[in-house]
Amino acid sequence: MKKEKFLQISSHIWEIPVDYKPGMRVPARILSSPTLIDSVDEKVIDQITNVACLPGIKRYAYCMPDGHSGYGFPIGGVAAFSLSDGIISPGGIGFDINCGMRLLRTNLNFDDIKEKREELLNRLFATIPSGVGASGFLKLSRPDFFKAMEKGGEWCLEHGYATQRDIEHIEDRGRLEQADHKTVSEKAISRGINQMGTLGSGNHYLEIEIAASDNIYDKNLAEVFGIDREHQVLIAIHCGSRGFGHQIATDYLEVFDKCAKKYGLTVRDRELMSAPVNSEEGKRYFGAMACAANAAFVNRQLIVFGVRKAFREVFGISDEQLGIETIYDVAHNIAKIEEYEIDGKREKLLVHRKGATRSFGPGRSEIPARYRSVGQPVIVGGSMETGSALLCGTAIADAETFGSTLHGAGRTMSRMQAKRTVRGEAVKQKMQASGVLVKTGYLPGLAEEAGFAYKNIDDVVAAVDAIGISKKVARLYPVLNIKG
Amino acid sequence: MPYQYSDSHTSADIGLVSCGSSLKEMLTDAALGLTALMVEPKDLRDDRIVDIEIVGDDPESLFYRWLSEIIFLKDAEKFLLKKCVVKSDDCPPWKISGKLFGDAIDPSRQRLKIDIKAVTLYKLGVTRNENVWRGEAVLDL
Repeated sequence: MKKEKFLQISSHIWEIPVDYKPGMRVPARILSSPTLIDSVDEKVIDQITNVACLPGIKRYAYCMPDGHSGYGFPIGGVAAFSLSDGIISPGGIGFDINCGMRLLRTNLNFDDIKEKREELLNRLFATIPSGVGASGFLKLSRPDFFKAMEKGGEWCLEHGYATQRDIEHIEDRGRLEQADHKTVSEKAISRGINQMGTLGSGNHYLEIEIAASDNIYDKNLAEVFGIDREHQVLIAIHCGSRGFGHQIATDYLEVFDKCAKKYGLTVRDRELMSAPVNSEEGKRYFGAMACAANAAFVNRQLIVFGVRKAFREVFGISDEQLGIETIYDVAHNIAKIEEYEIDGKREKLLVHRKGATRSFGPGRSEIPARYRSVGQPVIVGGSMETGSALLCGTAIADAETFGSTLHGAGRTMSRMQAKRTVRGEAVKQKMQASGVLVKTGYLPGLAEEAGFAYKNIDDVVAAVDAIGISKKVARLYPVLNIKG
Repeated sequence: MPYQYSDSHTSADIGLVSCGSSLKEMLTDAALGLTALMVEPKDLRDDRIVDIEIVGDDPESLFYRWLSEIIFLKDAEKFLLKKCVVKSDDCPPWKISGKLFGDAIDPSRQRLKIDIKAVTLYKLGVTRNENVWRGEAVLDL
C-alpha cells in the first residue's frame, strides 16, 4: 500500500488527499489501527478513492477498520451524498440489500441448554430453512408480499410474527417508508415471494452465543441492552433480503448502466454505476431498495418467529419463561436519508453504508426509548468460529462518520484459498473440540468461513473503540452454529 | 475443463471463466460452471425442460443476462441446469435460445453447495481472440 502518500490524522485515521487520483472531489479516510493499516490492500484504496470521485459526495469517503475489497464501494465503505446534486448507487449498498444482524436475549443461561444442545441445534436446523433455493414456511400471495415489502416490521406485527418489543427494537422499526412495490420487477417478485424466513448461504448464519461476565466490558450498558445474567444465552442471526434484494440490484445496475450517458455520469468502475438521487431512475431504485430493505427486516423477523418455536419445542416452556426478546436489529447494507451538519448548516443527505453499521449516539430520536440515553446497540458479526461483539453508538460517530461504524471482522483470505488450506470436516472437529456444535448442509462451506479467513474481530472492534465511533459493551462466544 | 474458477479479483466471492470455440459453447459451459458451484452436477436429472430466449445488446450483456437467468430460474422455478440444447450465433443479433434440461431442487438426493445470488459487473467481460471466445464474471455469493 502506498501509505507514504497518506496523511496520518490520528493514531487510527489515515487520510488520502484529493490529489491522490484525478477526479477526487473529497479526501478518503481509512479508519484502522497501527497494526491493521498495513494489511489494507490496494484494491480497497482504489475503490474508496473511486467513491470519493462520485458527484455530490460530502466531507469524506470512509472505509471502516473491517474494510476489504468489494464491488464499487469496498466492504466497510461509507459515503453521504447531497439530495440536490448527489447520486444513489447500488454499488454503495451491495447486492444483498439490508444484509444485517439481529441479536436476541433470553432468560436462559448455558446450564439450561447444556444437556439439550444437540437437540436444539437439530431443531433449529429443521425449523429455519437454509442453503441453495430454500423456501420459507409462508406461502404469500402477491398482494401480501407487496404489503410485506412496503410495511416491513409492521406487517409482521399485524400477522402475529412479531411482538411490539421486536418492532421497537429494529432499526427504523423495520420499515423504510420510501418502499414502493411498483418499482420492483416481476423477476424480483418471483425470486423473493417464497424466500421469506430463510437464512441463505455463504457467510449467513444463526448462532447461539454466551455472554460471560469476563467478556463484558461495560456492565451498565450491557444491562440496559438486556444482558443481565451470568453465562446468558443469546441468539445472533446474520442474513439479508435473499434473492429479492439481489434481483433488485441486478435490475437497477442495468438501468443505471443505460442512463449514465443521459445524466453525464462517468464512473471509474461499472459497479459504481449511479443515477442522480432526484432523477426518475434514482427515485425508482430508492423505492425498490427500500422494498428489499423491508423484506430483509421481515425475513429476519420470520426467522425469529421460527427460533421461538424451536426453543418452545425443545425446552417445553412458554415464550414468557424463555424471554427471547430482540436486543436490536441493524442493517449493514443500506442507503438512508439522514440529517447532518455540513458547513455549519443542517442538511439531509443520502448515507450509503455498505458493510457498515449505523452507530447513533445518545439522544437521537431514531433510537428506541429504552436505549435513547445511552446510544444505539451495534451488532458486529465475526467469523463463525469467533462469535460476535455488541457495541454502542456514540456522539463521535454522529459528528465524524455520518453515524457509522464497522459491521464485521472483514475477510482476509478468499474462499478458494481457505478451502485449499483446510477441509470443512477439520473445521467442524476443531469447533466441536472447543465446545461449538455446528450444522450445515454444505460441509466444505465451513472451510470457507473458518476463523483464519477473517481479521481478528477483537482487533477491529478495538480500533473503532479507540477512534470513538462505537464503544465496546460485550464479546459473545458461540456454542451452537447453523451455517447457511 | 471448459470453465474455471478464480479468486484473483475478490476475497468474498468467486470468479468464473469460460472459454469456447463458439459463443454458444462459451455461454453453455459458463452456465454449467455456474450451476456446478451450487450443486454436484452428477446428482442432477434432466427431466425438467425450460424454454429460453435471452437477447443482449452485445456479447457481454448477453453473457451477463444469460448467467443472471440461470440464477433467476434457480430461485423462482427451483430449477438447476443439467444441459443446454440451444443455438447462438457468433454475430449479431446477440441471442441465445432453445431448451434447458435440468432438475428441481431436492436436498434429499442432491449435494447442494453454495447459493450464487448475482452476476456482478465487476471485471465482467467477453473477448474473442481468433477462434476462442472467453467470458469472465465475478459471482456474488
